[in-house]
Amino acid sequence: MEDVIKGLTLIFEFQNIALIFGGVLVGVLVGALPGLSSPMAIALLMPFTISLDPIASISMMAALYCAGTFGGSITAILINAPGAPPAVATALDGYQMAKNGEPGRALGLAAVASVFGGLFSIIVFLIATPVLADIALQFGPVEYFGLSIFALSMLAAMSGKSSIRNLIAGVLGVLVSTIGVHLATGVERFEFGIQELSDGIKFVPVLIGLFAVSELLTQSKTLNAVVEKMSAKTLKLPTIAELKKLKGLILRSSGLGTFIGILPAEGSTVAAMMGYNEAKRWSKTPEKFGTGHAEGIVGPEAANNAAAGGAMVPTLALGIPGSGTTALILAALVMHGFRPGPYLITETPELVYAIFGAMLIANIGFLGVGLVGAKYFSYVTLIPKKFLWPSVFVFSLIGSYAYSSAMFDVWVMLLSGIIGYFAMRNGFSPAPFVMGLILGKMVEETFTQSMVIYNSNFMNFFDSFVFNIFVLLTVMSLTSPFWGKIKNLITGKKSESVF
Amino acid sequence: MVKEKKSIDFAPRTLGAGLLHKKDLLLAAILIAFGSFIYYHAGKFPPAPAILGDTINADVFPKMLVVLLIFLTVVVPFEFKFSPKKIDKIDKDRGDETPRITWITIFVLLAIASSAEFLGSVLTMFVCCFSIPILWGEKRYLAVAIYAVLFPAFVFLLFNKVLGLYFNPGLLEVFIK
Repeated sequence: MEDVIKGLTLIFEFQNIALIFGGVLVGVLVGALPGLSSPMAIALLMPFTISLDPIASISMMAALYCAGTFGGSITAILINAPGAPPAVATALDGYQMAKNGEPGRALGLAAVASVFGGLFSIIVFLIATPVLADIALQFGPVEYFGLSIFALSMLAAMSGKSSIRNLIAGVLGVLVSTIGVHLATGVERFEFGIQELSDGIKFVPVLIGLFAVSELLTQSKTLNAVVEKMSAKTLKLPTIAELKKLKGLILRSSGLGTFIGILPAEGSTVAAMMGYNEAKRWSKTPEKFGTGHAEGIVGPEAANNAAAGGAMVPTLALGIPGSGTTALILAALVMHGFRPGPYLITETPELVYAIFGAMLIANIGFLGVGLVGAKYFSYVTLIPKKFLWPSVFVFSLIGSYAYSSAMFDVWVMLLSGIIGYFAMRNGFSPAPFVMGLILGKMVEETFTQSMVIYNSNFMNFFDSFVFNIFVLLTVMSLTSPFWGKIKNLITGKKSESVF
Repeated sequence: MVKEKKSIDFAPRTLGAGLLHKKDLLLAAILIAFGSFIYYHAGKFPPAPAILGDTINADVFPKMLVVLLIFLTVVVPFEFKFSPKKIDKIDKDRGDETPRITWITIFVLLAIASSAEFLGSVLTMFVCCFSIPILWGEKRYLAVAIYAVLFPAFVFLLFNKVLGLYFNPGLLEVFIK
């Protein structure tokens, strides 16, 4: 309890509150702008937070993450252009409701469902993080190796165009993490005579390149896309009677979203899609979905915001990112000198509770932002791309240079962006690569330690019960994309899933 | 009345022809070539010194990854057979050739990065903000000029004066002197 109070006290300092609200504003803004995303904003912000208090910077990023998920729904509802992937499901009924003349109601439902989902997951986060960390403290290298393999295998089920390509991107990420001096033997690996590579590839320039520069190149194809100008509307909160009707759905979607968020690698996008599908499956009026039905907005919105809080649980308790964005928060923790994993809560509990406080404030904050400024935020889509993306590139340049004042990092950023652009064109997503890059060191370290412990005999790993559990989970997650098809083959039914 | 025969479309709906998807085959070839090079290069790593005892050599883990990479990559050219909808979506994205404007943008970004050290941070920002909108067809030159001056000035003030970030003066140093 003392740690909770300490963490919350830290958060309520003026500078920290200001940074959290800054994070909320930036989050809603980038969430609302199609093309910009919270991972991109966090990647761009990361190098500039080096000089800030670490707890304040991480809290700001957590706030940005929460608000970014909600921000995407504003443009999804008003102009049918989801600002962020998790808002894709919201657009299905949100935009229809807006077209039916009730944009304020659609925004209100999305905001309230998001807040409930967010708060629900934060409570779970507060309870589950220390429990999970306690369990993880009992893990040895072999169990951690099993856990990290399971986390990487979850990339197969991650939202994206192809499970195989997600896994390939994850493996490539791990491979890139092996660049530099091998800690166990001191052997230099894949340096090709470039001295700057002896410390390995730095996360930040790669992240900026993958999330910002590759998106800039993608946007260069659609410069003249006309954005529909929407009429400004005010946000209208749902009535108590309406909320009473929807409370079961909100609770169910929040629970589902939190659970999906806690699963390694799965994030808000998967949660939103499942939230929509489950809302439709449980609905008494499934035929109304897609026509501007309130349940079609509440289901995905509660789920995607709940996933944001849920994803923080494995990130902070195990050092395993719960989503693409939390992978960036994990990178920021490393950058600020923290040790992600179960030791984080024993060594710096105030940080974990400060993040909890920041997410709490962010969830209430974006409701306020939504109430006051939804109509203004919807106008951000009118910013011309020809001015917006050069600004993003300026931040990318300055950010990657500022990280260690080296032009080499700028080149890494640019090359990552260009390779990322062509990879994305071929169906690869940046998030699995980033997960692999960040988890890579842990996978190799735990593998090496386990091999030493078990006399270089891999089969001995199976002596550990926990390792076997993770192997089983890995097999299940790798085969999960085929479950639906097998079930449909057996039952002869066609999937009713919208996604 | 002649009944129209219902034909079953065995032909792939994607860019694939027959058993293999052409673009994915090329992609897989690139990945396998890359993996083979990494495997070959890892083979040249020196073994761990005997003093370290039973530790794992530096090449073991990368080689394992390469084997896994190749194993996964082999599936890619056949992926359209079991996930046709997903590959259709990917084919839509890569169906057209990379637009000329994207190639030019890549070239300009590389040129800006090459000259960044010489120009210095502020001038580099100015060049970015001026050249990219013009390159992308912006015709409101006055707006571009205002943006190219004001935005770098804002970034400089915020990050240099407020946050204390070092900005390399570059070419401006000569003028300042």
